[in-house]
Amino acid sequence: MADRRVGITGLGVVAPTALGAEDYWRSLLDGARAVKTVDLFDASGFDCTIGGQLDDFSARKFVPKHYRKAVKVMARDIEIAVAAAELAFRDAGIRTRASEDGEVDVDPKRLGCNIGAGLICTDLEELGQAVTTALVDGRLDLKAWGRGGMDNLTPLWLLKYLPNMLSCHVTIIHGAEGPSNCITCGDPSGILAVGESTRLIAHGRADVVVAGGAESKLNPMGLLRQGLLRRLCVSRNDHPAEACRPFDAAHDGTVIGEGGGVLILEEIERARQRGARIHAEIVGFGAAADPTALDVLKPAAGGLSIAAGKALADAGITAEQVDLLVAHGTGVPAEDRAEADAWAAALGSAVDKPAAVALAGGLGSTFAGSGGIALATAAMALNQGVVPGTVNFEKPADGVPLNLATEARQREMTYALVGSFTVGGQAGACVLKKCEA
Amino acid sequence: MRRRIVITGMGTVNPLGHDVESTWRALLECRSGISKTELFDASTYPTTFSAQVKGYDLSKDLGAEHKHPTAGRNCQFALGAARQAWRHAGLEGNTSLDRTRLGIYLGSGEGSLDFWNLTNCMVDAWDGDHLDTVQWAKLAVQYMDLHREVEQESNMTVAHLAAEFEARGPSFNVLTACAASTQALGEASEQIRHGDADVVVSGGAHSMIHPYGVTGFNRLTALSTRNDEVETASRPFDLTRDGFVLGEGASVLILEEYEHAMARGATIHAEIIGYGASADAFRITDQDPEGDGAATSMRAALSDAGLEPKDIDYVSAHGTGTKQNDQVETRAIKAVFGERAKQVPVSSVKSMLGHLIAAAGATELITCILAIRDQVLPPTTNLHTPDPDCDLDYVPNEPRKANVKTVMSNSFGFGGQNNTLIIR
Repeated sequence: MADRRVGITGLGVVAPTALGAEDYWRSLLDGARAVKTVDLFDASGFDCTIGGQLDDFSARKFVPKHYRKAVKVMARDIEIAVAAAELAFRDAGIRTRASEDGEVDVDPKRLGCNIGAGLICTDLEELGQAVTTALVDGRLDLKAWGRGGMDNLTPLWLLKYLPNMLSCHVTIIHGAEGPSNCITCGDPSGILAVGESTRLIAHGRADVVVAGGAESKLNPMGLLRQGLLRRLCVSRNDHPAEACRPFDAAHDGTVIGEGGGVLILEEIERARQRGARIHAEIVGFGAAADPTALDVLKPAAGGLSIAAGKALADAGITAEQVDLLVAHGTGVPAEDRAEADAWAAALGSAVDKPAAVALAGGLGSTFAGSGGIALATAAMALNQGVVPGTVNFEKPADGVPLNLATEARQREMTYALVGSFTVGGQAGACVLKKCEA
Repeated sequence: MRRRIVITGMGTVNPLGHDVESTWRALLECRSGISKTELFDASTYPTTFSAQVKGYDLSKDLGAEHKHPTAGRNCQFALGAARQAWRHAGLEGNTSLDRTRLGIYLGSGEGSLDFWNLTNCMVDAWDGDHLDTVQWAKLAVQYMDLHREVEQESNMTVAHLAAEFEARGPSFNVLTACAASTQALGEASEQIRHGDADVVVSGGAHSMIHPYGVTGFNRLTALSTRNDEVETASRPFDLTRDGFVLGEGASVLILEEYEHAMARGATIHAEIIGYGASADAFRITDQDPEGDGAATSMRAALSDAGLEPKDIDYVSAHGTGTKQNDQVETRAIKAVFGERAKQVPVSSVKSMLGHLIAAAGATELITCILAIRDQVLPPTTNLHTPDPDCDLDYVPNEPRKANVKTVMSNSFGFGGQNNTLIIR
């Protein structure tokens, strides 16, 4: 049996610049810059004090009334995923059991869910409130903790921080009873989730899948860990909007961010029959790894070139046919260079042909959320015939052959290539094709 | 033609053994892997015991000179299990394998947190009634270590395995709680079937036996608190069951495309013929009491395998020993197997191994393969008081000779993610 074809019929974007795909797209064309001094908590003790932050964000507006209580047991990563999934279903015009009138037009058992996640950090403030009830001589006493200190934590404490809860809350809210997965592979998690979900539909295991990723590093532990990895820009705390500069000659590190991109993937005949708008077709997917990644202070982008090559082969197209490249572009100098090399290895002499864009300059690094946002960006760019500009890119860093631009460009395009890699070496890439009206 | 997926190697590090054969012997001797928790002082916790991996030395499997000095606890288990599986599959020294078609697909848990440094830093930066994040930031760079932090990311275990075997193919980690390694094996099979890879190193690893891990499960009241009878505390399907017993470990299998395995003359231990996945879509805290999600997963696996319930000779249950799981799973098996439900033997090795969480499914799949090899079913131990709601044949208390060709293995995760594999 030939594989079934898969279209993207819904886009759900939660980004520091905007909520919702349309507002997000407008913000991209405006060159919006969300990176600023972090004020979700006092970050002034860190070397890097800035990030791409979601202001006044809560999932409460994105869940049915009866589910609002559950928002209390959602870590921020989960809230982002829940909001992005709701936005994606709305955009797709698919009614699940979360719809206001209760009408459902998708078979729950044929509706899958696959949302990538990061390592969700426990809220130190919450844990500290409990731990400080069980101190002896200024140190946690495990006997006191076991005897009753731990009772100061809410009974559902663990469930706030399990990465599969991004998917689980979404399946519960929307009644998705099909296959459900949670990929935890750092930055490419969203791309890997979308790729795996495409296969789910292609092989007939589901008809519709809500897929993507979400993550928030906007907490002390997130900032600490990225600092230990020496990935952060520490030179521009006074000019946060200009700090993260993907592939730019003055790049000097990335900044933390938070966000999510969740897509509705749908078997293409089903989408056509219901007259859905198909943002793009997913025609290629590849995944790979770089086995040199144990040296975590060095970039490991070797997997990206393999993944991109596999995605092109899967799509049955050549490097010359790629019109748009949505790069990962963290703004960490060594990573930008390694990524540029990976694209060059995958695309050969055509590496400078596709119009390229990277998103972290305006948003900050959105980690497991980045893949879904990048794919949504690619789908909209293909449709609109516009390549958004790359925020803070002015002059290419040495050895970066990508065709980037500061300003948005108009361009007729058919194929987009989207890929990323992570600390740990995993990489993923997808090829999207513009859907003919 | 549909590509077939076979299992050519197995390895495990778990509370009952540090390799496949000793684990299997222990299971057939009905030994318990459960004892007082020694990894930290749990003496006043609601639960004072667990199923710990004791005395495991990674150099046994990797040699003294290995490239993983920073590997955390669950990652060490994974590396050991994976190297055993690699050797078992006859891949040691293989230089002809196309590394871009060698994948890693794990259900590995997060690495163990750096407990005392995390806690002391938080306490020292505590200001009256709140955390002083400015002070914390200053202290944290002194307390916390790069590698101990990075190794907590659950994709790092995959990174270690990719480095160990120079794998450049698809690399995934999934963390669907207690179902993770079954899901990993299922999705890895799908990758081979689709043609994305020819060989995948797949399975799971986890250790949550640390002060906050046990706290989390104790707060959920998910763990057995039978502190005075620890060895027999894990009682799947028994009326007196009072929760699961937290375990740790890793199990890894080599999945391989059939023709690829044949061409290199590999020994085939089993074939994965069916995979099913579903979600309860019910509650984050409870399973669907009707067992509809679990039944959907089993039916999807049967359908994928092109089999009827009558074709299944044995079911390796999720069987955690919580009140709810065992009742729901029993109900779901009845819904799927109908009349035959009471004839098909069902057992839970968690009665002896404890619950290895993300590593549970892969470990249990290994026991299924050995059941087929030796034509013997591992028992559900500690099953002495029948529960009227759990009235199937659970192979109570002693192993049983049986004609076993086709086996179903279930894993259900916290939050409602269900996965089922069928092998023969």
